[in-house]
Amino acid sequence: MLRVDHDFRAMGGPGRLRLEVTGRAQADAAIAAALAEVGRLERKYSRYLEDSVTTRINRAAGADPVSIDAETAGLLDYADTVWRESDGLFDLTSGVLRRAWDFSADRLPAQADIDALLPLVDWQAVERDAQTVRLARPGMEIDLGGVVKEYAADAAAAQLRDAGVAAALVDLAGDMVAVGTPADRPGWPVGIRHPAQRQQAIAALELPPGALASSGDYERCITVDGRRYGHVLDPRSGWPVRGLVAVSVLAPQCMVAGSAATVALLKGAQGIAWLDALGLPWLAVDDDLQCHGTLARA
Amino acid sequence: MSARNGNGERHTTLLALTSSAMLLPAYQGAQADAPPEYTELGLRYSKYKEDDIPGRKSFGSGSERYDIDVAQFHLLAPVADSWSVALDVAWEDMSGASPWFVGESADGDPRVIMSGASIEDTRTEVSVNTRYYYDRGNAGLSYTNSDEDDYQSDAVSLDGAFNSADGMRTYAAAISASWDDIEPTQGAVPTNTLQDDKDIRSAWIGVSQIVSKRAIVRFGLSYTYRDGFLTDPYKNRDSRPDERKEWTASAGYRHFFQQQDAALHVDYRYFDDDWDVVSHTLDLSWHQNVNDQLQLIPFLRYYSQDEAEFFDVVADTSQRYYADDYRLSAFGAFTYGLRLRRELGNWSLNLAGERYKSDESWGLYSGDEAPGLVDYWRYSLGVDYVFR
Amino acid sequence: MKYLSACCLLAALCGCTTVQPWERGLLAKPEMQWQPDTMEGVLQNQIHASKEASSGGSGAAGGGCGCN
Repeated sequence: MLRVDHDFRAMGGPGRLRLEVTGRAQADAAIAAALAEVGRLERKYSRYLEDSVTTRINRAAGADPVSIDAETAGLLDYADTVWRESDGLFDLTSGVLRRAWDFSADRLPAQADIDALLPLVDWQAVERDAQTVRLARPGMEIDLGGVVKEYAADAAAAQLRDAGVAAALVDLAGDMVAVGTPADRPGWPVGIRHPAQRQQAIAALELPPGALASSGDYERCITVDGRRYGHVLDPRSGWPVRGLVAVSVLAPQCMVAGSAATVALLKGAQGIAWLDALGLPWLAVDDDLQCHGTLARA
Repeated sequence: MSARNGNGERHTTLLALTSSAMLLPAYQGAQADAPPEYTELGLRYSKYKEDDIPGRKSFGSGSERYDIDVAQFHLLAPVADSWSVALDVAWEDMSGASPWFVGESADGDPRVIMSGASIEDTRTEVSVNTRYYYDRGNAGLSYTNSDEDDYQSDAVSLDGAFNSADGMRTYAAAISASWDDIEPTQGAVPTNTLQDDKDIRSAWIGVSQIVSKRAIVRFGLSYTYRDGFLTDPYKNRDSRPDERKEWTASAGYRHFFQQQDAALHVDYRYFDDDWDVVSHTLDLSWHQNVNDQLQLIPFLRYYSQDEAEFFDVVADTSQRYYADDYRLSAFGAFTYGLRLRRELGNWSLNLAGERYKSDESWGLYSGDEAPGLVDYWRYSLGVDYVFR
Repeated sequence: MKYLSACCLLAALCGCTTVQPWERGLLAKPEMQWQPDTMEGVLQNQIHASKEASSGGSGAAGGGCGCN
């Protein structure tokens, strides 16, 4: 049994593949397939690349419908499901609010700037069918980043599985997918980072086959008059949500775990009850850095 | 009732997210049938030896029975994205004596008269199979040729499996046909034909259903029609109908025990034919993973059959059909044994040992004991290699 | 009668909850297959068919042999 670790950068963060394989050649082929898949999805959906699907859709806002492939249509269908299940809180069009919020300066935006952007935040103004998508108003944008990173982690794991790897861990900037279990333990040892002290883990667990996704970036915030404003914005008000600063969820798919964590964060204080009802193992850290959830240390 | 609270919401939300996600391409892999990832090669050598027939059951001082060596070769290779091909070759070498007929001793006991001289025969069987894998199942086509000095067989079979949309159920069917020629070797014993043939046609349908994350069950029905020379050419008192219709109903169950890291196999077959043979077969095996490299598989099989309508311990040759072949008598049999599989990287080593014992009194059906009933030991040794 | 009870059993199983594709890992294990060892299965069927009056029932029937 050979253990192989491979570090890389993708989707704006560090990534790591850990494999347990019988031979080096198998590991190399599997790693190449997984990285190719992550690279493919990054290029296809990056907001920053000129020829990406996302850029094409955003450029055509207010104009003609853009034709899309089945995978993109599937991702938009999924985003629509999360939008409905979150009562409209999860909204791929909310990225335009970043034009008002500058998290590198300790200064709040003017309410007038936010009000000017809010009409562009409207998932229902995204006209979709199986082959095309159209953003109804000029200036609207969608950002698939909120689902593609987790989807890419699942897709990379599927590539490893297809390459015959029986045990592996995909770590895409903190979103993890476990394929099988390591030879000598019931799961992959992973830690959930403390939102404030990044070197510290608030929870350690052995991840069984399945996925762990986390949402919330405590450090990306501004503090004005002693009050903290995080980067997770409520699409209805355009202001940061309050209540929770970090959420982690365990699910069979990373994409489902990631959406559940994001929706809980958007729901603020009600996120705890929502996670409780969802039925997946979870951990949430509130504004006072108190831990809640089935994964919290007793 | 409010769907916003409690279990109702939990289930609908998680189910909605999950079922929506599962439509994406990255999650589709698990459902499609796919050819094997790598080429697999296997070699086996098996030896089985029938117990000597004791003096009290035969005329003379007892006799040795068959001693059989079997070598098997198996190759399975993926071809392109959705095909596989397989080649199986078996060589069988048998020597020894077999029951010729059953007579009565002076005090009225039935006793076997064995074929005098030792019979030597070799059989070569070559089978090629190609299989196509599609999104919802797979389909295969096979050709098999079996060749021995006194027997030739050509068989073709076609089979297919189709999965339900949710992948929980698989429907399968197979049909096969075989054309066999018999030309008994002259010399050891007089034979009751010089040349003859028989045809076999068979159909099978099955359905398997996933019961839980750990269990799967399967049911099957089959019909086989044999037409032609079904008499044993080397038996002195053997005359059988030239037609035979057989039905089977079978059930199988597999259950994985996570705590024990082991799988339980249970298989049952009911058999019925128009020669009045009825049989029950129960197979049990326990596939225990001892560690990553070692698997131990103890197994037990119970078999019981009723006798054919024209069977008699001492054949009544005045009838139209008659036979004293122990294989058509009422008896019960146990097979028990142990298999071992040891993985060594791309290699694996396979060992097996089993004992077969049969007795008239172990059966579910009553009948007179055929003195020719057989017991044997079998040992197998083999290696498999995966081209990873 | 036996056919009938098999069908009833199958009908009862229709009620079982869906096991999602990603939950079928244990069912996909080699030791959970109907016949995990092809060569062993072929040999056992062949030997038993040469000692007993019944055979078949486990899929496509093969050709015959003059095994005694």
